[in-house]
Amino acid sequence: MNQDIDIRLEKEELEIFKRIIQKSILTRIKKIGAKGGVVALSGGIDSSLVATLAQEVLGENLTAIIMPEEGISPENDIRDALNLVKSRGIKYKYITINDAVEWFTKMLPSQDLNDFRTRLTIANVKPRIRMIINYMYANYEGKIVLGTSNKTELLLGYGTKFGDMAADIYPIGDLYKTQVWQLAEYIGIPTEIIRKKPSAGLWKGQTDEEELGHTYYEIDRVLYALVELELSVRETSELLGIDVESVEDIYRRIIHSEHKRKPPTITRLSKMCLDKDWRYPVERY
Amino acid sequence: MEKLRIALAQIETKLGDLEGNKKKIIDSIFRAKELGAEIVVTPELSTLGFGSGDIYLDKVNENLDALEEIQLTLEETGLTGVIGYVDRDERGFFYNAAAIIVNGKLIGKYHKVQLVNYRLFDEKRYFKPGSKLPVFKTPHGILGVLICEDIWFPEPSRAVTFRGAEVLIVLSASPYDRGKNNLWKDFLRERVRDNILPAVFVNQSGIQDGVTYWGGSMVLSASGKIIKELPLLEETIDVVEIHLEESKRLRRRDIRVREVRREILEELLKAFEDMQQ
Repeated sequence: MNQDIDIRLEKEELEIFKRIIQKSILTRIKKIGAKGGVVALSGGIDSSLVATLAQEVLGENLTAIIMPEEGISPENDIRDALNLVKSRGIKYKYITINDAVEWFTKMLPSQDLNDFRTRLTIANVKPRIRMIINYMYANYEGKIVLGTSNKTELLLGYGTKFGDMAADIYPIGDLYKTQVWQLAEYIGIPTEIIRKKPSAGLWKGQTDEEELGHTYYEIDRVLYALVELELSVRETSELLGIDVESVEDIYRRIIHSEHKRKPPTITRLSKMCLDKDWRYPVERY
Repeated sequence: MEKLRIALAQIETKLGDLEGNKKKIIDSIFRAKELGAEIVVTPELSTLGFGSGDIYLDKVNENLDALEEIQLTLEETGLTGVIGYVDRDERGFFYNAAAIIVNGKLIGKYHKVQLVNYRLFDEKRYFKPGSKLPVFKTPHGILGVLICEDIWFPEPSRAVTFRGAEVLIVLSASPYDRGKNNLWKDFLRERVRDNILPAVFVNQSGIQDGVTYWGGSMVLSASGKIIKELPLLEETIDVVEIHLEESKRLRRRDIRVREVRREILEELLKAFEDMQQ
């Protein structure tokens, strides 16, 4: 155990984090006069955590939307999502996205999933379909969209821009994945959800750790060293005893995904460029 | 027994919500009166809310008008107020300020000397730093008033101690991150122990734009003991009785204020100048 990697949360911190996250959701909803929130629930840990935290403070005013792609989304995910909403009394909708995926896929010149380009393109279409459904219900019900991105994903850029990353707020966006596990355990998320291998569900059998090439435990320690301790790649590698190439790979993901963490860059032509010179809070009176 | 009854108005201000914030401040003054306080303290920049961005530039006049209304309430209730607001001088410069109001009269102003511009902070975009460290004589005692970051440095509290402050009052809007509440306890304790005088820390509560102001306002006795701690994250008000003679009693044997030496202060200044080279 390296003492500098202070990523594990104390019990007292978990309680404070829980209260802050819940209050931040309520504050935004109240500020804009929304009727509640919607959250896309996959049955994975991030969305289960956001849904559970939000439901405790929003009750009936939270809608979870379960949007599996039948035959592709793992059955245990669908089952876990349904069990969660039923056991917690979360209001939900169940919508399969297969038809929409098919409709979009047909537009591509090739539907061959062995072709990497096609596979990746379609993988990104799916979260964007879910985004449209999310926002459709959010609009219809006068609610905001609660994002489920965590700090690890946001730093790696491991998410689809305007897809699963599309949201009004990121309640768990400052928590590393391993901290998400801790908080999930603290608030009593079922162990089958916590223990399962994380997957973006982009294609059958996909797991995040395999795709990223490292375990979340390793990734979080590297991210913590690079971001929180502000160490260089070399220093991180030395501190953690992880090879430079692996740290370099993670570092490169961070710098190449900056665009995903920012709104589109505006070309500045005036003295009051809206993303550079103009500084107003969102929750503004 | 010299006692001071002071109200800690741990309010949840909203960004740019002048009317709402003013009402909260005025309500706090009435509540403080009911609770038997002599002095009421609000958080840093409580009229406009901390983190209001360019709103400071737009609403400074309205914020000064709000302060006048707050003065009227203080006059009506007879309370002394230490109120966080945005001040503007005759040259048009803005300051992160505290108004000290006795019997409805503005007896003094304090301008934050240590502005913050790191991490999420952007105070130098709007404010000019103050450079004076006065104390304020009120019917209830001599107040040393500081704002937030000022307490992270040893010098400002030292200066008001030398000028005879009997209590340190710290207005704050401290954003939460891991361990921040404990870090603040350390800083407050260090200042209290070095200067042997009690401290009152009043922090904003609530969440604005994803930033949590953690509340947890507290009072430390001159010996460094936390005698009152308000809850984290909640909007609340409470009154604490501070015994001003404790500091004098402790200073009979604790020499760390009276035996500060001029030569050493001069040496400190020289060392500082060397650092600037």
